[in-house]
Amino acid sequence: MTANRIALFVTCMVDQIMPEIGVATTRLLRRAGFTVEFPMAQTCCGQPFFNSGFRAQALPLAQRTIEILEPYEAIVIPGGSCTGMIRVEYPHLLQDNPRWYYAARRLAAKTFELSEFLCKLESDDWRQSTANCQETVTYHDSCHMNRILGLHDEPRRLLQAVGYTIAEMEEADRCCGFGGVFSIRLPEVSNAMTAEKLRQGRATSATTLITADPGCLMQMRGMRRNDDTIQIKHLAVALEEAITGKPWSME
Amino acid sequence: MRTRTTILTRLQSNNRALAQPTTWQSRQGFNDLAEQFVTALTAVHGEPHLAPNLEGATAQLGAILAELGAQRVVANNEAPIADLNLPTRWPHLQWHIVGETAGDLREFCTYADVGLSSGIAAIAETGSVVIHSGSAQSRVATLFPPVHIVLLPTSRLTTDLFTFTATHKNTHLANGTLPAAMTFISGPSKTADIEQTMAIGVHGPKRFIVILYRE
Amino acid sequence: MTTTTAQFRERATIALEDVRLQQALDGATGRFATARQAALAAIPWADELRDHFKAIRAATLANLAEHLQTFERQATAVGTHVHWAQDGAEACAIVTEIAQRHGVTLATKSKSMATEEIHLNAALAKAGVRPVETDLGEWIIQLAEEPPSHIIAPAIHKTKEQVAELFERESGRPQSAADIPALTAEARRMLREQFLAAGMGISGGNLAVAETGSVVLVTNEGNGRMVTTAPRVHVAIIGIEKIAPTWDDAAVWLSLLARSATGQPMSIYTTVITGPKRTAALDGLPDPDGPEEVHVVLLDNGRSPLVGSKYEEVLQCIRCGACLNVCPVYREAGGHAYGSPYSGPIGAVISPLLFGLDKYPALPHASSLCGACQDVCPARIDLPRMLLELRADLVTQGIAHGSEAVLEGSVSLAMRSERVWALLMGMGRVGQRPLLKNGKLALPERFNPGGERPLPALAKKSFHDLWRDGEV
Repeated sequence: MTANRIALFVTCMVDQIMPEIGVATTRLLRRAGFTVEFPMAQTCCGQPFFNSGFRAQALPLAQRTIEILEPYEAIVIPGGSCTGMIRVEYPHLLQDNPRWYYAARRLAAKTFELSEFLCKLESDDWRQSTANCQETVTYHDSCHMNRILGLHDEPRRLLQAVGYTIAEMEEADRCCGFGGVFSIRLPEVSNAMTAEKLRQGRATSATTLITADPGCLMQMRGMRRNDDTIQIKHLAVALEEAITGKPWSME
Repeated sequence: MRTRTTILTRLQSNNRALAQPTTWQSRQGFNDLAEQFVTALTAVHGEPHLAPNLEGATAQLGAILAELGAQRVVANNEAPIADLNLPTRWPHLQWHIVGETAGDLREFCTYADVGLSSGIAAIAETGSVVIHSGSAQSRVATLFPPVHIVLLPTSRLTTDLFTFTATHKNTHLANGTLPAAMTFISGPSKTADIEQTMAIGVHGPKRFIVILYRE
Repeated sequence: MTTTTAQFRERATIALEDVRLQQALDGATGRFATARQAALAAIPWADELRDHFKAIRAATLANLAEHLQTFERQATAVGTHVHWAQDGAEACAIVTEIAQRHGVTLATKSKSMATEEIHLNAALAKAGVRPVETDLGEWIIQLAEEPPSHIIAPAIHKTKEQVAELFERESGRPQSAADIPALTAEARRMLREQFLAAGMGISGGNLAVAETGSVVLVTNEGNGRMVTTAPRVHVAIIGIEKIAPTWDDAAVWLSLLARSATGQPMSIYTTVITGPKRTAALDGLPDPDGPEEVHVVLLDNGRSPLVGSKYEEVLQCIRCGACLNVCPVYREAGGHAYGSPYSGPIGAVISPLLFGLDKYPALPHASSLCGACQDVCPARIDLPRMLLELRADLVTQGIAHGSEAVLEGSVSLAMRSERVWALLMGMGRVGQRPLLKNGKLALPERFNPGGERPLPALAKKSFHDLWRDGEV
């Protein structure tokens, strides 16, 4: 993968709630030698509206996201669900308008989830490190990343490449309970699903539960007890920590 | 009739030219169908036996009947059972030979200890025996008694459902030859409806014994 | 029945607080799912077989009228009476009329989702016919007067103690909850009497084979054989979509059904009914037993309008229940939360489609869209896509709350301008200050849309601000 102009699409959740994921993603991409650009006009891909059935409300957000990201050669997103929205749902949503449909298809072809993008790189210089990572982690497969994008091995490969040992959960691909608006529409069921996910995470020998999706991260952190022994981190942050050998810091 | 027309008209207006895919060909290959049948049936709590010939199978049947302490036996009057002269062979048992013995078949079956039948085929992959109803093949004979014993030549073994349908398309499965009831039996009656705990023998036979013999 | 969001939440909460039910759900769904996986792994071509099956189902639905007419013709030729029912009321009227014509007062039934769907038992009771369910699980919930909570394991939610109590009440004899085989034997005794006494047997149909006019019934207990053999009259109620044109198609169907449902290579009994007992079998002599009359009721009840619609694919369903077992929502909420005989992902799609979206507005949203259902479906039905379509229909048909539309509309509008959005979020940063606790919003649970899960706080600085300020 060589691209001159790569754009970071951070997702609205990372932008407003977990900006450190965007910072970690930028650092990783810079390590790989890219000049990262951040199109300041970006807001939301429109998935929350689309998934709630409000397609008319999702449509303008999809169109403006396409326009904003169109000029770049590659777009990297630290989240599988939003990547899935752009890659799979945009062409669906815009299928009745040929001009927009082809624009959506073009964008879909150059939009990548972070781990997918990193795994496509020819060189792995970016992850060379003198640090000696000894940690055992467990990885939660975000549903859309795993089932819509088929990204199952990529994040695991990266985690192992930087030195983590992976202890798998009983059902790594079981939904964490987020599901977007589902998590506040049916909070009791959603929370029970998250509790089950965390139970499975704690049952491993891992000290950290890693996910590549901001939505899952937010959901699981929400249900994490303050005295929990297991940490919950985004893939980008975990990769940065292993490479630098230091706990995450925004500095 | 109005309902029929409404439904069919609605469906017809959405009719599309979409061809049925070509027939799925069996990909299963077993070295020994009889061995596979025995393995599969054992796995589902059935009791297969393999005899070298019909004589051996008959001896096996005698031993099983004795071991069961069976007293009342209902038998479908079909090959090879019909040729075994069972009532003469084991006269101490009370027999009801379907279509031959006078008396109330259903009543007899209600209190019978064993139902005896053959089958038109047996499916090696799943350990299933296929039985037909007919004038000499009672449906309740293989259903009401607590034990169902099948006597079957290995020549009737077929690999799987696909080889079964391919082989019998023009015989047993053809229009006009399919009887009122055809049943694939793959083990003794069972349930897991109470706390997912398996229990054998709910409504059908509690024991399903298949004596296969080579011809 | 209806299922609004409030009703779903209320019923799900009852299930979530029931520790025994949670254990039962976990255990049963887990076992089914594991067994299914192993059964499909045992045939290396399972994925291709599923693709093939999907092609069969799609082609069948595209020519459904023709296949139904073939079925009707062949079934009639062997003496089966074929009836057509537009809706539940028509189907119930057909069945009760047959029962009354034969003076039937007791009917035994084998498990049938179609009869659950049309509430046949209530109609029979009203017509003076006592229906007795004979699938053990179905009988247990009939005794408990409850609806099924799983497509193939209707009494999944009942404990052995509850079963023993129900049997004790029914039999008048003491029952030991500790002994499940003994409870099963008791059921065998009690139900055997009913089988022998019943004037009519009622079944569903897992599929119907058009080319021979046959109805295929799959059971493990043998009750399917009983109800189609012992009584004088047999009536099968079957959805119009469950047609296999040929035996070749039926073989693929049967190869996937039990494997997907319970992980068995084949269910214990697969019964193929082709007409009533013959007065002259192949050898010219009459059959010694079997029903004298066989009726098949082809049930539409909202199915035919789906053919040719964007929801047609859902008619490929064969009711194996595999999607329930892997659904993380079903596995927590249980079947009763859905308020429909069809629960889980397939229930969330077909209940609104068959019974009305306005009656089941919560169901399209009773999913995190995780996609596990599609993974295991033998026909690979894209259930998440259908849920999304239904959600869109809720909005376009004006069933979704007006307040929701206002909220979604204004947020979307704000997000169309990064400046407006940043301004709003900036206001949020100020507004959240009094509520901040450990980086989360400390709202009282009652006012918290996340329930016991505190909502996350907005970060001190957005990524936009960090970037603009050169801090990235």
